[in-house]
Amino acid sequence: MTAHRAISGAGIGLAVCLLALLPLAGLPAFYDSFLYIVFYWISLATSWAILSGFGGYFSFGHAAFFGAGMYTTATLSVKFGVPFLVTLPAAAAVAASLAVGVGAIVFRLKRLRGELFALLTLAVSFILATIILNTPIDGGAGILTSSVPLPHIMPSPSQTIYLLGMLMCVGTLALAYIVAHSRLGLGLYAIHDDEDVAEVKGVPTFRYKLAAFAISAAIAGAVGGVHATYVGFLTVSETFGITVPLYVVLMSVLGGARHWLGPAVGAALIAASLYTFTSGDQAMIGRGLVALVLIVAILILPDGIVPSFLRWRARWTAQRATAPLPPVEAPQPAATPSGGDRPANAQDSGIDRPVALAIRDARKSFGGLQALRGVTLDIHEGEILGLVGPNGSGKTTLINVITGHFPLSSGEIRLGGAPIQALPAHEIARRGVARTYQIPRPFMHLSVLDNVAMAAAFGSADHGRAASIEEARRWLDFTGLRAKESALPAELNLHERKFLELARALSAEPQLLLLDEVLSGLNPTEIDHAIALIRQIRDRGTTIVFVEHLMRAVVELSDRIAVLNEGTLFALGEPGSVMRDPRVVSVYLGKAHAA
Amino acid sequence: MLLEARQLRVAYGDATAVWDASLEVDEGEIVSVIGPNGAGKTTLINAIAGLLRCSGGELRLDGHDLTRVPAHRVCAQGIALVPEGRRLFTRMSVEENLEIGCYVPAARAARSATLERVYSLFPVLRERRDAMAGLLSGGQQQMVAIGRALMACPRLMLFDEPSLGLAPAIVDDVFDVVRRVREEGVSVLLVEQNVLKAMEIADRAYVLEQGRIVSSGVPQDLLQQSHIREAYLGV
Amino acid sequence: MPSFTLLGQSLVSGVLVGGLYGLVALGLSLSWGLLRLVNLAHFAFAFLGAYLVYQMGTSWHLSPWWAVLLIVPLFFALGVVQHAIFLYFRVVELTSLLVTFGISVIIESALQWIWTADFRRFETPYASVSLKIGAMYVPVVELIGCIAAAGLAWATWAWLRWTYVGKALRATAEDPEIAVAFGVNQRFLSFLLSGVCAAYAGIAGAFIALISTLAPSQIWAWLGVVFAVVIIGRLGNPLGALIAGMLIGAAESVAMATFSPAWAPVVSFSALIVLLLWQPDWL
Repeated sequence: MTAHRAISGAGIGLAVCLLALLPLAGLPAFYDSFLYIVFYWISLATSWAILSGFGGYFSFGHAAFFGAGMYTTATLSVKFGVPFLVTLPAAAAVAASLAVGVGAIVFRLKRLRGELFALLTLAVSFILATIILNTPIDGGAGILTSSVPLPHIMPSPSQTIYLLGMLMCVGTLALAYIVAHSRLGLGLYAIHDDEDVAEVKGVPTFRYKLAAFAISAAIAGAVGGVHATYVGFLTVSETFGITVPLYVVLMSVLGGARHWLGPAVGAALIAASLYTFTSGDQAMIGRGLVALVLIVAILILPDGIVPSFLRWRARWTAQRATAPLPPVEAPQPAATPSGGDRPANAQDSGIDRPVALAIRDARKSFGGLQALRGVTLDIHEGEILGLVGPNGSGKTTLINVITGHFPLSSGEIRLGGAPIQALPAHEIARRGVARTYQIPRPFMHLSVLDNVAMAAAFGSADHGRAASIEEARRWLDFTGLRAKESALPAELNLHERKFLELARALSAEPQLLLLDEVLSGLNPTEIDHAIALIRQIRDRGTTIVFVEHLMRAVVELSDRIAVLNEGTLFALGEPGSVMRDPRVVSVYLGKAHAA
Repeated sequence: MLLEARQLRVAYGDATAVWDASLEVDEGEIVSVIGPNGAGKTTLINAIAGLLRCSGGELRLDGHDLTRVPAHRVCAQGIALVPEGRRLFTRMSVEENLEIGCYVPAARAARSATLERVYSLFPVLRERRDAMAGLLSGGQQQMVAIGRALMACPRLMLFDEPSLGLAPAIVDDVFDVVRRVREEGVSVLLVEQNVLKAMEIADRAYVLEQGRIVSSGVPQDLLQQSHIREAYLGV
Repeated sequence: MPSFTLLGQSLVSGVLVGGLYGLVALGLSLSWGLLRLVNLAHFAFAFLGAYLVYQMGTSWHLSPWWAVLLIVPLFFALGVVQHAIFLYFRVVELTSLLVTFGISVIIESALQWIWTADFRRFETPYASVSLKIGAMYVPVVELIGCIAAAGLAWATWAWLRWTYVGKALRATAEDPEIAVAFGVNQRFLSFLLSGVCAAYAGIAGAFIALISTLAPSQIWAWLGVVFAVVIIGRLGNPLGALIAGMLIGAAESVAMATFSPAWAPVVSFSALIVLLLWQPDWL
């Protein structure tokens, strides 16, 4: 493995050196320029994809950051005589600060739908263009940059520009690779698929989006800086036109924006095919053809070339492996304890132990609708608390306020003594609260393993990448999903998706586990299996809150039952007696029956 | 027999929510389907209303096969739905909501007469005819939802949890309306988690548990059965 | 500070230009608000319409008013075809943005191939006629465009408000499943609306041909401001689009007169950004 890595590392190093020396091989100057343009587009498209591809926030304003970099370099070098190489970090910094400024405002918005972000970034680039056009930065006359002295790295200026472009491209790809394989990347992929769930699983979504936006813009700014000397003459209309945002989107989508190499493949294909149509009429036909390819690509390969290729290759290798994987055998539930074994008694299982979660007068209203009207409830360490009540009684809302998905309207929630009601959801997750969703919400583009590993990486244990994969495998074994670890969630059936939810919640190693209707939709055998699993989880010391409609299971599993009705805690106690309480009976069956 | 379901099976993707359910509704009958939450009641109702495709079994209205009728033609066959959670068009006025009810040509022809009927049934809706439906109280919204279904001049009305989220006094009103609907000659299939109310009003009832119909009969007999209590309370 | 007359004149011409913004925004707003499809190609369709009117006018000497009668059914069919593709490939909100981006580029290339990248001006006898009202000059063609925009916006509003089909369209936008349960043929209506939106692009194109100078790259010039108009005017609201168009047109024009012409874009985009950040309930 390490030897393999060393060889491929050396190979890449050698290839980079050869590419760097290529201009010295005496090729016609045309090739310098052609290759520079390919590098340029690869860098731009890849930089765009770091936010928009990985994180799923499509930006139509990439020209703003690219242009900010271009004008920074041009202004500093032409008007202030700053050495060219020094202007490049400055260009990156200016673009990154612009992105952080924009991001700090727009990423705070709730309900920011994808197309609104796209339009917002487009608007930002138009405004920036207008400001530059009307201020002395450009003033409408354009800036001549062809006279900027370049460092003499290579014999001719065009070769120097080639080298800079190449280094920029290699650096960008390396950065994209690193991001894609880091915590940041994993978090971004999760944000792409389901931002709410990502936050609840412990991803600091706001910070991650901002970081990705800043990295993306910084690269675009630096690329713009180099490009300023390549074009020789800057105009606002060329810089901030529709070309850059259009092409980076096309290239990334064509190649596969979610893969670190995808935008590069798309960029190389499109840039090369554009270059073959150079003169007037042909350039126009070229543009039209590129657009047609884009349309067909989006319609037929919505995931892009690289991911489609990888999937095809995976399927091909899977077919060649003759022996099919052994059928998934769900782990046999440990001998189900009979009624007498379970610590059913509220007295000995609940009240003596310390309080894990204390809810005090929790209220939550949505507009005029009061979903929770003052719930006060202690949940003790190591107990299973069944949370039941009719539809609309506030069970799921209670889970949502505990996990921080919704802020409380008033009241207090303490986890292990510390108030958590004002914390963001990802912070609550890191303190050891995990939940499952009634309708499973896996990250649809991540493999089963990555779904679970992601939760392990961002959960309370704070594992590194390798440790989180190990942790994930442990929980996949536990839930019997190990054989499907490389499948995508869409390939799982409902029962397996429910268990994936469970594995994902468990791998975060929570102190408090909130299960939202894990049994609904399962058949009786699957339900028995799930009940056995839940018992095992509790035996490991996890506190469990268990929302369920299937009353037999609730009564069988719970140490105590809390009944919610119309947003208030209606009854609380040992299962048998609570469910025989005439008031509870009347909530469930109607008034007359209780009388 | 007005509505006849035989071995009906409904699935969401690979998750089957209703298994081989058979039930009947006769002309002028009120039939209740009760069962705990998550038993598949709403799925069953939505399948009958054409919102979900059945993956197996037969569904007939007056002997005509409904399983192959496209969703937007089910209403014209004489089935109207009062959906769970009301699902009004909140940004349209009360009267516009009612008018969507009579979108089907036959019902459209009778628009003014039916509208008059609905307004005399729910006088408060006449007063608030121009208000946005989303701004009404829960009880009034339920009236609009019922009125909208009445506007379709149906032969069979499907009520999905009409008492959900309503104050007890309003719940009584809603069940009175269900009775009056029947008196006007419309058959009713009612799905309800308020078991006693649903049983009180019904001529016959079915018990649905985990997607399967586990018993059926006259309400008084069903209420005596211990497993209804068990399904609801687990004890 | 510019004179009162200058301000008044710029207000009038701003409102007139704004009417045209509203006219272009109309179809975009309807398809976005009621079909949840962001049709960037709307601008390209409008310019295609403009070039067709120009061509029929210059080579066949066909009056633009007759040309519109040919364009409306043609574009209706175009919209239906486009929608059939969208339905077949299950295009959703975000992919619609990308696909129609591509369609726009193809149309732009085609325009450039047929009519070259040169600026073209459709010369009509009434192009330079102006009414003089008080101290203000009102160009007749722009006035007609503005009246047409207002008429079309009002008619669309009335269609959505008072007809069964219109009500069904609005209901479908909010809860397609329930609308279908009451007999609304959602598929058919979506085809109808797509056709109507494309036809509106054609009509807008006719006025673009009469009022402004044509060049293929101008497709993109309208994009930003019209999107601002669509969002400010509230998705799917025809009268909103018209009023927002006129407000933005007037604001731009007054900004041009008070500061400098080149600052105009800042007005509409700042309005858009403020609105997106403020996020009122109806957005």
